[in-house]
Amino acid sequence: MDLAQGVQFVSFIILAAMMFSAALGVVLLRNIVYSAFLLGAVFISISGLYLLLNAEFVAASQILVYVGAVNVLILFAIMLVNKKEAFPALGRNWLRGGATALVCVGLFALLGTMAISTPWSIADRAGVAAEGSVIKIGKHFFSDFLLPFELASVLLLITMVGAIILARRDLIPEEPPESGLTETEAYKLQERPRELISVGKSESEDQS
Amino acid sequence: MEFASNFSDQLNVGLILPEGIVVATLLAVLIGDLILGRRAARGLPYIAIAGLLLSIVSLYFYWDAENPTALLGSFSGDDLSIIFRGVIALSTAVTILMSIRYVEQTGGALSEFIAIMLTATLGGMFLAGANELVMIFVALETLSISSYLMTGYMKRDSRSNEAALKYLLIGAASSAVFLYGSSLLYGLSGGKTILPEIAQGLAQVEGGELASAIALVFMIAGIAFKISAVPFHQWTPDVYEGSPTPVVAFLSVGSKAAGFALAIRLLVVAFPLEQPQWRLIFTALAILSMILGNAVALAQTSMKRLLAYSSIGQAGFVMIGMVAATQAGYASMIFYLLVYLFMNLGAFTGLILFSLRTGTDQITEYAGLYQKDPLLTLGLSICLLSLGGIPPLAGFFGKIYLFWAGWQAGLYGLVILGLVASVVSIYYYIRVVKMMVVKEPQEMSDTVRNYPAVRWNLPGMRPLQVGLVFSLVVTSLAGILSNPLFTLANTSIENTEALKSASTFLEETTAQNKEVSLADPMAPAIVEK
Repeated sequence: MDLAQGVQFVSFIILAAMMFSAALGVVLLRNIVYSAFLLGAVFISISGLYLLLNAEFVAASQILVYVGAVNVLILFAIMLVNKKEAFPALGRNWLRGGATALVCVGLFALLGTMAISTPWSIADRAGVAAEGSVIKIGKHFFSDFLLPFELASVLLLITMVGAIILARRDLIPEEPPESGLTETEAYKLQERPRELISVGKSESEDQS
Repeated sequence: MEFASNFSDQLNVGLILPEGIVVATLLAVLIGDLILGRRAARGLPYIAIAGLLLSIVSLYFYWDAENPTALLGSFSGDDLSIIFRGVIALSTAVTILMSIRYVEQTGGALSEFIAIMLTATLGGMFLAGANELVMIFVALETLSISSYLMTGYMKRDSRSNEAALKYLLIGAASSAVFLYGSSLLYGLSGGKTILPEIAQGLAQVEGGELASAIALVFMIAGIAFKISAVPFHQWTPDVYEGSPTPVVAFLSVGSKAAGFALAIRLLVVAFPLEQPQWRLIFTALAILSMILGNAVALAQTSMKRLLAYSSIGQAGFVMIGMVAATQAGYASMIFYLLVYLFMNLGAFTGLILFSLRTGTDQITEYAGLYQKDPLLTLGLSICLLSLGGIPPLAGFFGKIYLFWAGWQAGLYGLVILGLVASVVSIYYYIRVVKMMVVKEPQEMSDTVRNYPAVRWNLPGMRPLQVGLVFSLVVTSLAGILSNPLFTLANTSIENTEALKSASTFLEETTAQNKEVSLADPMAPAIVEK
């Protein structure tokens, strides 16, 4: 084992231990904010593993997308909806926990057996490192993965439209205001009211 | 010059012209709404329908194309995909007809709704032709994410919010499972993503049975979620009840057709060697879906939930064709989906009309509707009877063909179960018909007594009428004149190289390699084809 391999091995051990303990923390800790921060740690360790595998583009996008966007979004959501609510304690908690653990351990054992027993074909692994993964991914995007790449742009467009639609406040002036919400500043926001062809059944009968 | 023509041959972009038309329509609807504003945007739904019809017409020109592979193998425009893409586009066109009035009346933004629905259609159409793992996943996500958005479209209705959240969570979980299965396939086949190459790669691996079985189970779980087969149906009742009715119509026809297209292509092309295993899994799914879907539908009091459970049962019938795994089996699936499109969308159009006029969808409220609205009663009755499989209607011939194909393949138990299940289903369909037609005037429900005068000239009602009459005509005529549809389904299967080469591939490998276990009793039926 030369020096490079040794460094690689040690960093793999460190990253794996980090990821494992952080992932256990995500699941087992009671405070949801701790879980969210530990989830960020899991994502960062995964991107370290990607770096060890010579996939620097995936590692960078892992940090940008998962840590930078997804995890921050989760934290925002937790802090915006940070409502303290006392849930009634469920009986037989140990039974639920035990059943969950049993299923998870069983699944892990199955997948672990599969990963070890299967002869994975790892023939042309050297090619990636030589060229640089960014160049290789770019070539794939404009050759054999052209169609999914283009379809993903339509997907992103409509996701954006849909997110705006769901998050936008509809202002319907004809309707009587709901109780208690009349005076809030939010309802005075400038928004183009849409004309309705009918609000209810009775109005639609008058119109034609 | 040489290189350019070579490359464009390989790309063969023309094959995705129908999808290109849908994308252009989608952009026209979005931008037209932005520029013209709400009032002038009334015509946008009709532009969308025109675009979809144009796309179906353009599909016709690629029928039996010489080179069905496009974009370096990631898309396959063979006849199997063409017919499924046509079904999906047509179902969206009819769904848009019924959603114009519905969305306006519930106060949503119509043109964005149509844009999202067009994206779902686009995802479904690409899914029907996807021939490569990355493409399958991106198309599946396009379909799913647009479906989640449409499910939660009535954002002031808390049931719609609940439905969207449940659908999103369960859907994301099933996508993750599907993705895990595809990653296993990628690893097993030595880094291949194109389906026929995966099949070859899998055949060369020694000792990868456990991994390929897990990949198979995980991918079937993802597909079964999409076609809402029992036991992956838990989301269906809540989502169907909470989401807007046109969306339910789309989910139960368009989205399901896309799921079946994916099932056929993925399993037949990528898993030819595991055929006994996946037939076994689909047998279980079909039995459970037929029993549970039809049994629970008996107890429903709401028309929407009734149709939700009946669509689970109908998916069970279609899976008989999948289990048969013969050419006749696949052809019967396509034929049944073609007629199911019209009868189910007709039933949903009737349901929407009734609930728009009265504001309820309880089955007991339909009592005596015949006196007040004969056209609606006729349309709804014909479509429901056809769904149940009453003889001269389209649904009867669809079911006969499915059962015949199953019987030919030796699936006697499954076919008999299907017959029993369809008798049960006739009971609950007839119950609604009886409620509408047979009741005396004094037994009329209060809702029907106060039924508003039937006026088709209100805004948005004309498309509903057109949709209802269209489905009614097709459902009643497609039974008697079913031959063209029948020939269409058969030729599309016969012309599809992928299915043929998969079965010859299976024969070759079994001939070479005797250890591959085909000891399953069902196996001889496939091999002799």
